Amino acid sequence: MKPQSRVWRWRMITGTLFLVLGLLVIICSTIGPAQISPVDVLAMLLRKVPWVGSIVPRGDWPQSHETIIFQMRLARVILAVLVGAGLASSGVVLQGLLQNSLADPYILGISSGAALGATVAMLFGLGAHVLGVFALPLIAFAGAVVTAFSVYNLARVGGRVQVSTLILAGIAVGSFLSAVTSYLMITGGQNIHQVVFWLMGGLAGRGWDHVAVLAPYIVIGLAIMLLNVRNLNAMLLGDEPAQHLGIDVERLKQVMLMAATLTAAAAVAVSGVIGFVGLIIPHAVRLVVGPDHRVLLPSAALAGAIFLVAADALARVAAAPEEIPVGVITALCGGPFFIYLLRKKKEPGF
Amino acid sequence: MPFYLNVLGVECTYGAVKVIDGMTLAISQGSFAGIIGPNGSGKSTLLRCISRALKPVRGTVLLEGESLYSLGSREAARKMAVVPQETAVNFPFTVEEIIMMGRSPHLGRFQVEGEKDFEIAGRSMDLTNTRHLAGRLITALSGGERQRVIIAKALAQEPELILLDEPTSHLDINQQVEILSLLQRMNKESGLTILAVFHDLNLAAQYCDRMVLMQRGQAYQVGKPEEVLTADNIKEVYGTRVLIKKHPVTGRPTVFLLTQGGQETAGKGRIHVICGGGAGAAVLGLLAGLGYEVSAGVLNAGDIDWETASFLELRMTEEDPFSDISDRSHKENLEMLRGADACVLVSIPFGRGNLKNLEAASQACEWGKPVLLVEEQEIEERDFTGGEAAQRYNQLKRQGAFVLRDRAEVPDVLAGLLPVRT
Repeated sequence: MKPQSRVWRWRMITGTLFLVLGLLVIICSTIGPAQISPVDVLAMLLRKVPWVGSIVPRGDWPQSHETIIFQMRLARVILAVLVGAGLASSGVVLQGLLQNSLADPYILGISSGAALGATVAMLFGLGAHVLGVFALPLIAFAGAVVTAFSVYNLARVGGRVQVSTLILAGIAVGSFLSAVTSYLMITGGQNIHQVVFWLMGGLAGRGWDHVAVLAPYIVIGLAIMLLNVRNLNAMLLGDEPAQHLGIDVERLKQVMLMAATLTAAAAVAVSGVIGFVGLIIPHAVRLVVGPDHRVLLPSAALAGAIFLVAADALARVAAAPEEIPVGVITALCGGPFFIYLLRKKKEPGF
Repeated sequence: MPFYLNVLGVECTYGAVKVIDGMTLAISQGSFAGIIGPNGSGKSTLLRCISRALKPVRGTVLLEGESLYSLGSREAARKMAVVPQETAVNFPFTVEEIIMMGRSPHLGRFQVEGEKDFEIAGRSMDLTNTRHLAGRLITALSGGERQRVIIAKALAQEPELILLDEPTSHLDINQQVEILSLLQRMNKESGLTILAVFHDLNLAAQYCDRMVLMQRGQAYQVGKPEEVLTADNIKEVYGTRVLIKKHPVTGRPTVFLLTQGGQETAGKGRIHVICGGGAGAAVLGLLAGLGYEVSAGVLNAGDIDWETASFLELRMTEEDPFSDISDRSHKENLEMLRGADACVLVSIPFGRGNLKNLEAASQACEWGKPVLLVEEQEIEERDFTGGEAAQRYNQLKRQGAFVLRDRAEVPDVLAGLLPVRT
């Protein structure tokens, strides 16, 4: 392929995904008990944009609609965008670093660490009087980061991190922490329902506060990942071949593992354990756009956002007025897709 | 002239095990150097050390007089490319994408490959004959194709030095020759310096202009192939007896293995093999390999049996090319027979010229020596004397010669006839 046309192809793919995401954000904002038309939502959003805003006329929607969109629905949709993008990009990076297309953001034990943190926070009401609503996400985040850090250090032998050791250490530490979580749930008493709900992952009841907490991690994490994206391609040839292409492999591993871990940990801390997004989205996008991370990473981030926004909308309407945890939806979609991928073993990429 | 690559007193360890133990080596620019040595002698470790994947605990490696380890990673990657034994790529990159990765040490962080990079990658594809694979997935290639792609990637780095770790050990001979000939061409035409680890001594001797024989983490000998590849060196380092002969076409030293039993010769007895043409070569090799002291006669100089016997450095009775057996050589043949413990007459055709061979065998019978007739073809079919040869041959059978239908039976029968003397 000629150099120019290749760059154009990348722009087309990411541009299209971006448009789809935009449309989906608007459509999903219309879902709910109050009937608000997509056109109104679009106009409301455009009016908030500098320069353009002054040209767009205010429609005849009631003020309450604006409040519903901006105070309630939009925050949740944006949160889904951030969590989906964070999990998917973290999955892409971990699959690349570990040279294993079955890796996911939770492979370093992030989910188990966060789960234990969240369980402790919920069962014992830890820190609630100081940190308020942020007690839960902050303690979950701390649990996730401490776990990932321990797993990384467990796997480090003589200044180098072996991929297989890292994966095994992640499994071992993860199982241990899950066991502790289960024990606490059994003995912890009345809040067990709340814990189970959190473990399944969901965005119910989250608002702009959560967006504000999460956004810096996702934005900075994504930026770091995108800065190192070409070197990630070479990593797929193996550690030493990558080094022979002039890449400081150990440093790249450290930086990228940190970015991927913080991004995923922040997403989990806010939303609970939403499974399969970080595993399936990188896979599916790779099948379509190819393994070059320069297009794969941004595309997967966008596709992850699209998927989670759609899944969250489904979670809201499928059993309305009850809400299904969004993790249930992603697992329902992800499980069969994963089995399909496994059955297609002959396909290159496995 | 200062050397391009200097390995100076390098010591490398894996944990507590010292794998390279004070290795010193100098390679000049534009040479095609091969590292050989038995398993565990430190060949691949030395290569990993030069490729900067493993830092030595003592000593250093200089590239053009500068320490290799103080170079930046990207700078090093612009000077030196590495081709591993095998590259497993689990992700569905196209061949072109893999080769383009070779350009990454030349690109800035945000720079996308431009026309020039595609041009260089295209040239590497032409050189390695991989252009037709450009759009194929690396995961769908055969081992040989994949290795060519990896070499193309290495060439796309535009290196001055290329390191290869047994680059062809997983490939068929045609692919081995293809890849090594390609490297040789790059070496001759573009002055690319090549340092490669070889498992196969003959392959190394064919292509390298310099060889490094390693033993226990040190250079046992460094020099031209004919200086390094000697029977004594191989015996000392590998502990195996081999024959070194010049390759008939290239003149390079070539290693021939002496099979299992070749290690001990004492006490097994002397066998005289009557052969000629090419019918006896296999039996000569077989018996010599089993450790018998073998002599042969009467052989016409230059025929295949003669070549085999001289190659195996056997005692033999010679006759001029295409000449009948003279009285002189017949006598010499009989002398050899007299000293032998047994005689083997292989399935040769008989004409007027070599009837004396049958006479010699008959004499052996009279001396009471065991005579083995290898009869893979009926005597009538290889009698070109009008019946005389057949008559004499059948006489041998009446004299008590053993008839074997297959040359492979010779060792067993001999083992029964000649108990090992101690």
